Amino acid sequence: MANVLDLPARLGALPARRRRPLALRAPWLAPSLFLAPALGTLAVWIYWPLVETFRLSFYEWNLLPMAPQVFVGLENYQRLLELPELRQAAWNTLLYTVGLLPLTVALPLAVALATRDARGRAGAIYRALIFVPMMIAPVVVAVIWRWLLNPEHGVVNAIIRGVGLPAVRFLDDPGLALWSIVFITGWKLVGFSTLIFAAALTSIDRSLIEAARLDGATEGQIARLIYVPLVMPAIVLLGVLTVLHGAQWSFVYINVLTRGGPLQSTTNLYYLLWEYGFSSFAIGWSTAAGMLLFVVFGIAALFGVRLMNRSDARPR
Amino acid sequence: MTTGILRPSRRAVLLGLAGTATAAGTGFAQRIAPPPTSPVTISFYNYNLATANIGAEATRELIAEFMAANPNIRVEGVPVASDQIAARVQADVVAGRIPDLAQIVFSDLDFIVSNFGVRPLEDLIPQDEWAAHTQGMVPAGLRLGMLNGRTYGLAYVFSTPVLFYNANLFRAAGLDPDAPPRTWAEVRTAALRIREATGKHGVYAEIFSSFDWLYQALVLSAGGRVLSEDRRRLTFGEPEAVAAVAMMRDLVRSGAHPRLNPAEVSDTMYSGNLGMLLTTSVYQRALLAAASGRFEVRAAAMPAFDERPARPTNSGSALVIMSRDPAKQRAAWELMKFATSRRGYTIITSKIGYLPLRLDIVDDPRYLGDWTRQNPLIRPNLAQLERLEPWQSLPGPNYRQIGRIETGALNEAVFGEGDPARVLREAQQRAQALMPR
Amino acid sequence: MRAHAEPTQSAPLGPPTAWFAAARSHALLIALSLLSLLPLYWMIVTALRPENEIFSTAPWPENPTLDNVRRILDGMPLFRMLANTALVAAASTAAQLVTALLAAYAFARWRNRWTRAIFGLLTLTWLIPAQVIMVPNYLLVTSFGMLDTLAALILPHVASAFAIMLLYQSLRAFPEELIDAAITDGAGNWHILWRVIVPNVRPALASLGILLFISSWNDYFWPLLVTRSPDSAVIQIGLQMFFTQEGNQWGPLMAAASVASLPILAIYAVLQKQIVESFLHSGLK
Repeated sequence: MANVLDLPARLGALPARRRRPLALRAPWLAPSLFLAPALGTLAVWIYWPLVETFRLSFYEWNLLPMAPQVFVGLENYQRLLELPELRQAAWNTLLYTVGLLPLTVALPLAVALATRDARGRAGAIYRALIFVPMMIAPVVVAVIWRWLLNPEHGVVNAIIRGVGLPAVRFLDDPGLALWSIVFITGWKLVGFSTLIFAAALTSIDRSLIEAARLDGATEGQIARLIYVPLVMPAIVLLGVLTVLHGAQWSFVYINVLTRGGPLQSTTNLYYLLWEYGFSSFAIGWSTAAGMLLFVVFGIAALFGVRLMNRSDARPR
Repeated sequence: MTTGILRPSRRAVLLGLAGTATAAGTGFAQRIAPPPTSPVTISFYNYNLATANIGAEATRELIAEFMAANPNIRVEGVPVASDQIAARVQADVVAGRIPDLAQIVFSDLDFIVSNFGVRPLEDLIPQDEWAAHTQGMVPAGLRLGMLNGRTYGLAYVFSTPVLFYNANLFRAAGLDPDAPPRTWAEVRTAALRIREATGKHGVYAEIFSSFDWLYQALVLSAGGRVLSEDRRRLTFGEPEAVAAVAMMRDLVRSGAHPRLNPAEVSDTMYSGNLGMLLTTSVYQRALLAAASGRFEVRAAAMPAFDERPARPTNSGSALVIMSRDPAKQRAAWELMKFATSRRGYTIITSKIGYLPLRLDIVDDPRYLGDWTRQNPLIRPNLAQLERLEPWQSLPGPNYRQIGRIETGALNEAVFGEGDPARVLREAQQRAQALMPR
Repeated sequence: MRAHAEPTQSAPLGPPTAWFAAARSHALLIALSLLSLLPLYWMIVTALRPENEIFSTAPWPENPTLDNVRRILDGMPLFRMLANTALVAAASTAAQLVTALLAAYAFARWRNRWTRAIFGLLTLTWLIPAQVIMVPNYLLVTSFGMLDTLAALILPHVASAFAIMLLYQSLRAFPEELIDAAITDGAGNWHILWRVIVPNVRPALASLGILLFISSWNDYFWPLLVTRSPDSAVIQIGLQMFFTQEGNQWGPLMAAASVASLPILAIYAVLQKQIVESFLHSGLK
């Protein structure tokens, strides 16, 4: 990865496949110029910072320019791995990811399948409406739900009390807070996911289904043999996006609603990095945890991309 | 700098740095400039501005009044929540945006002073001006801005632990509001009575914030400490400290102490749904305003552990001049003087609820006189001003990380499932590894 | 459920089930629509309630008032924040479209193992969480002296792997004959890109533009890191500052949330179809 920056220059050594008059004189020049703005930006803001994060993960430092960066070798990693906080955050990250899957894949798929016949004007109106949460800024979403779920005056608890049940402390109960945040994260996405599945289903050739019915296929068989394979790419796409970004999507809700509490029950790895980095300025810890996350995340991502390519789920 | 703040190797480097900085900065005993004749703008990082409940309005008023009286000085108030102000100063210093004047919480003072080249006020301020201004200020307060015998921050706002209670709920539960609980055992009984009789919450102790001053007071009252006298060893996992936490856990388990979201505790009290709240005296004004016409709020001293007298700590902050520019230093000093003047403390005490660090204004009709007559609640608080225990700051460059571990363990021990003694002891060991060696 | 295998002409399912399926569809979609809209409705209702009705659970305000709205407009530079957000979103969207177009053109036009390798590396950047590289990024911004400026919000988003990948897919599908024809005519790369390709991929650019604009509008983490003052805050950070300060003043909080959401909802009302389409065809960031 270190020689990324050399690549445009090295292009010069190679003949481009399609030779053109200009390309003959300086075959590397045109591609380099076209790639330079994007590559330059990404090199400055992503590649170099990644290398720097890697370097800092071996130092103890508090970010102050006048404070020395003390080399500590693998000590940051060692301490982190011994830390119960990190284990809890890693476990929570997994819970966020797994918890979101029903809301971003299973439920939307079920709704899309059950409502696959809603078309025309009514269908368009529904689509417009269920997509609305996607348009609302996450901080706004967070504060709306904080109000709705408020234990004393929130309308959700008013309803719960109305049917004679005790109020539920959605965001203060360590056993519930994480799931509340999963729900809020999912609330913003569920309409969007439903639409993706609905779009996948409309592409299905209806005569195929008619034919299957004529042949005496059951609804279950039709779903399994015709619908599922056709929506498979969408399932993989949403599944991979959720696995890759689910825990990340929750960050804003954690930061606005619970700050990782109660009892660390809502802290995930992204939030932990943020706290180490810019709340306690343990830069070594933050960057080391970042590298660990990057490696785990990278493996998951590569796996996911491969899966998407195989199922040809790349949207086009 | 106190001993053991930094590791030897690093300390040497830093002292070297500090030395060169001092030599460059004070080679000719540079002091602040004379009062400004041309316009100066200073930034003022302030945490009261960041929260409506603790005096944003009054602080704006203070600044406005100062600017009206000093037309050459413009103050840009920068609101930052109290638990983020040191981190914010740090992040901004990294960016080369050094605050001119900052309200620094006492627990962060050591770190700020050790790392940001803050110069002692004795060096900055002409001696006669300093002496004239600090005359009449409470010595115990002034000492809190000192490190190694030099004053780096001028004590500014200052609060003490108070047990506020809802007298109406007391009466409804058949308790005598004129005889508030004095010990934790009495608190427990009263809280359970309130809960049974009214269905409201019993008592909440705000010891779980990221600032550990009230937690320290609780541990001290139980005969323990969170940090050894020589500041080298963490002791919040030792038996005496654990006993204090175990008492809290028992309050929670018995149902006397609810599991509330820290952000919503004060609202629960304001809405009349909480019997007792052990917290900072700062909430007094907001609480009285919220309760007015609906229920009666009273205040009592911090509860004790049986016969052992309670040992309250102070919370609060100092004003620290961080600017390197003599003209801005002067402007900052003028603002500091106004904020801690008789007039300044009149605003701060009457409109926010902090203690005045000038006792001569309490009965003076030109200042707090009328107000004190209407708010006798302040007297017991003033009485404990002289016997407050100083809030210990955690040492070293990792102090925030240590604080996180400490308060995390406290929360786990009180609200969690594990054995409190083990939770605290393990956390103490982990945090000890981050202490200066 | 076992469907009868009777053939039907128009309805996809047999008559008894068709009615049932349609009712079920509508019920489910209405439920989902309500779940999506009721929280927003409650936000607006709360914003319109006077202070003494805030805790009311009546489904609409008895005495609606704009007091809360007035109060937040006095208390925070809300319009300034909205303008900042629009500016940042527009600038970074425009920049990303241009850089992505250039890069995607290069990848589509010169296909060899080097460009493929570079493309692979670019794809990787899409997978690096912002929190992993936040410390060096913060130091970079501060060393440029850009803390608390709108430039700091825009610059890191001048290019994105996501935009490049998406545009590359459109360009790859572009008929090569058209390019070849242009080359035969002696057209240069610049001409080919702007005169031949761009006019033909306008829909893709528009979709991508909408997507980038909205995702920039919703960006949270980076502004959180580099914003300091309300005057240079984007709307999300401004709201958060306001929320911290106001604690649990629900009326003003909901008023701020409502007013802040209006512009984007208005845009949505107008461009609803295009917006939904562009999200559907690209996955989300």
